[in-house]
Amino acid sequence: MTRLHPRSAVVRVARGALQGAFFGFFAGSVGAGTAFLPALSVPLVAVFGALLGGGYALARYLRFRYELDGDTLSVDSGVFARQSRQIPLGRVQNVDVEQNVVNRLLGLAVVRFETAGGSATEATLDAVDEAEVDRLRNYVRRRDREPAADSGSTMGAGQFDAGGPTDDALAGSDRDESADSIGPASADSEPDGELLFEFGWRELLTYAVVSVRPAAPVLTLAGLPLGMDVVRIALRFNADLVGVSEALRPWLFGSPEGTRLLVFAALTVAQFLLLALAVSVVLTVVEYHGFRLTRANGDLRYERGLLRRYSGNIPLEKVQTLTVRENVLMRRFGYASLVVETAGYSGGDQQSTQGVAVPLAARDEVYELARDIEPFGDLDFERPPVRARRRYVARFSLAAGGLTAVAYAVDSLVFETGYWWVALALFLPVVPAAHLRWRHRGVDLDDDVLATRSGFWRRTTRIVPYYRLQTVFVTRSPFQRRRDLATVGADTASSASLLGGVARAYDLDEAAAVELREELRRRLTAHIATRRRDDSVDDDAAVGDDSDPDDSVTSETAATDDEATASEEPTARDDAATGDEAARDDDAATGDE
Amino acid sequence: MERLHPRVRLLWALSSVVRTSVLAAIAFAVDRFLLALPQAAIAAGWLVLVLAGVGRALLAHRIWRFELQDDALFLIRGVVTRTDTSVPYVRVQHVDTTRGPLERSVGLASVVVYTAGSRGADITIPGLRPERATELRERLRDLAIESEATDAV
Repeated sequence: MTRLHPRSAVVRVARGALQGAFFGFFAGSVGAGTAFLPALSVPLVAVFGALLGGGYALARYLRFRYELDGDTLSVDSGVFARQSRQIPLGRVQNVDVEQNVVNRLLGLAVVRFETAGGSATEATLDAVDEAEVDRLRNYVRRRDREPAADSGSTMGAGQFDAGGPTDDALAGSDRDESADSIGPASADSEPDGELLFEFGWRELLTYAVVSVRPAAPVLTLAGLPLGMDVVRIALRFNADLVGVSEALRPWLFGSPEGTRLLVFAALTVAQFLLLALAVSVVLTVVEYHGFRLTRANGDLRYERGLLRRYSGNIPLEKVQTLTVRENVLMRRFGYASLVVETAGYSGGDQQSTQGVAVPLAARDEVYELARDIEPFGDLDFERPPVRARRRYVARFSLAAGGLTAVAYAVDSLVFETGYWWVALALFLPVVPAAHLRWRHRGVDLDDDVLATRSGFWRRTTRIVPYYRLQTVFVTRSPFQRRRDLATVGADTASSASLLGGVARAYDLDEAAAVELREELRRRLTAHIATRRRDDSVDDDAAVGDDSDPDDSVTSETAATDDEATASEEPTARDDAATGDEAARDDDAATGDE
Repeated sequence: MERLHPRVRLLWALSSVVRTSVLAAIAFAVDRFLLALPQAAIAAGWLVLVLAGVGRALLAHRIWRFELQDDALFLIRGVVTRTDTSVPYVRVQHVDTTRGPLERSVGLASVVVYTAGSRGADITIPGLRPERATELRERLRDLAIESEATDAV
């Protein structure tokens, strides 16, 4: 068992002592104020607090030990309530590394291990030095594919053998990089892998502009202590500039001074947008500076961040869902982003950035990488039936009507300007909005994956391999029932679906939805059966197989899976494909209106 | 397809009474200690919600159905938004039977099926006779074992 790096102990003791001193000072002051303690006691209590805080931090450091042994990561921790945890490495989903500024100066990093279970990060090593980070990362990665045989590890090998890979798997990964066959003991020198994407300043700024976040300045201003004052000053400045400040009062009570008000509004909106752009650029640069995505035997590895550096491994064989996101601007300029979802993250702090493999790249490249990870054909989305569009018109009209009613009520009760009918303009975008929503929704049953698509402003395409499906559900709201429509949802174990990220095929024809559900069930069974059959395929085929990137990925995909792991064999896959072909045909028939 | 035990209507009606009463109690507490609310309105609200709850219970029982199909557990439910769900046996992680206090009082039990999925990872079949619940749990367990998934997450 090893301890964390001693330098991290210094940091943590210092932090603990500081917190303790602060608390002690506060408590002492309160005590001196109310309980008539002598004033001298304040520094004494503070020192006592510092000792207590520092001592506890030190005790925690001393109690925290971890070890990689065989195929288990063991972590002992806790001062009062002691905990000893064992994580089978085959079950580790993601390994994430974070370096804040202090740790960067000290050459340390925080390593987090995520598994599918549990409600928090399963093991956090805070902190180890950079060489150790590499060792851990490489060990975990290689462990996934290597025979558990070598290890004289006590319980790990026996108990968790289910996750333990076999020789085929080793052979599979060795195809790519023969240098990799070195054992875990000498695993420190890891070749950097193949570079997939990299951000220079150009890409970084493009990304910042196309992913501009209008909400960013709102949050920033609300977060700043004087944020609201800044807003007020800016508004007053604008008002003075346009000379609208004296017009503002009468406006509230009935006589708007049209043009000036318009200029005022336009100016404010323009400033807001500029600010949004500036804030977005800053945030993006800070978050994504130096972004690199590489691939080395079956893992994607990302690095990014200007001040706080993040890096992490996304094991491709654990991928549950691929999500391609394109907002309006990105679509316009042919960009897209790719999220690779595993079952690893379970709520908490990293939601915003989890699993983002490629923040921005040309659409084709994104799809190419996606196909590399999880092979699928050309996606050809089938839109919902036309009556779904009427549903959207009805729905948006209801919303517009509701807002108009509110405007009317507010105007006639409070402002009495008589201009409530301006709200009727909300009806103008109803039809185009409904059309756009309809246009961007769709579903495609590919040979290997289910793909669904939705959203105009931020179009999200979810790609779910059939063998990853969990439950399939069909829902029909009362409004959908009126038009004989239904939505099909396909759940996976992806952690992003916690945030409503389930692949959904919206507003299909009722009968088609039921058929889709059945079809998904059939394909799940068929694909699992295929994978199981592949598991029992003979070894030579896998070893002899050449390095077609697609195949190597699938072989590693298979390699994670329980017990028998083996490479996917081309013939077996062809079987599956033809089987699906037939299935697809009758699906197409029922899919028709 | 199998339907729930008719007594589940009583269970749901009771639980809606309990829930609504808690709300009413809170409303009365607010009325007593914070600001005056019309008591008649609270009583009326209670009655309306209870009636709605009972109506919902009746409808829900009429709609609820489940079936053990060859490769998946299939359920239909939902009064307003109707949902049917198939849970492939391959995906079943574990199965529970539970009996809450209200359920015990009307002599019913539920079976909860867990999957590794994230939305609807636990699926509850309420309103079963206890023997039936146990039997169902064991049947589901056997089906899950038979189907034996290759890939864990």
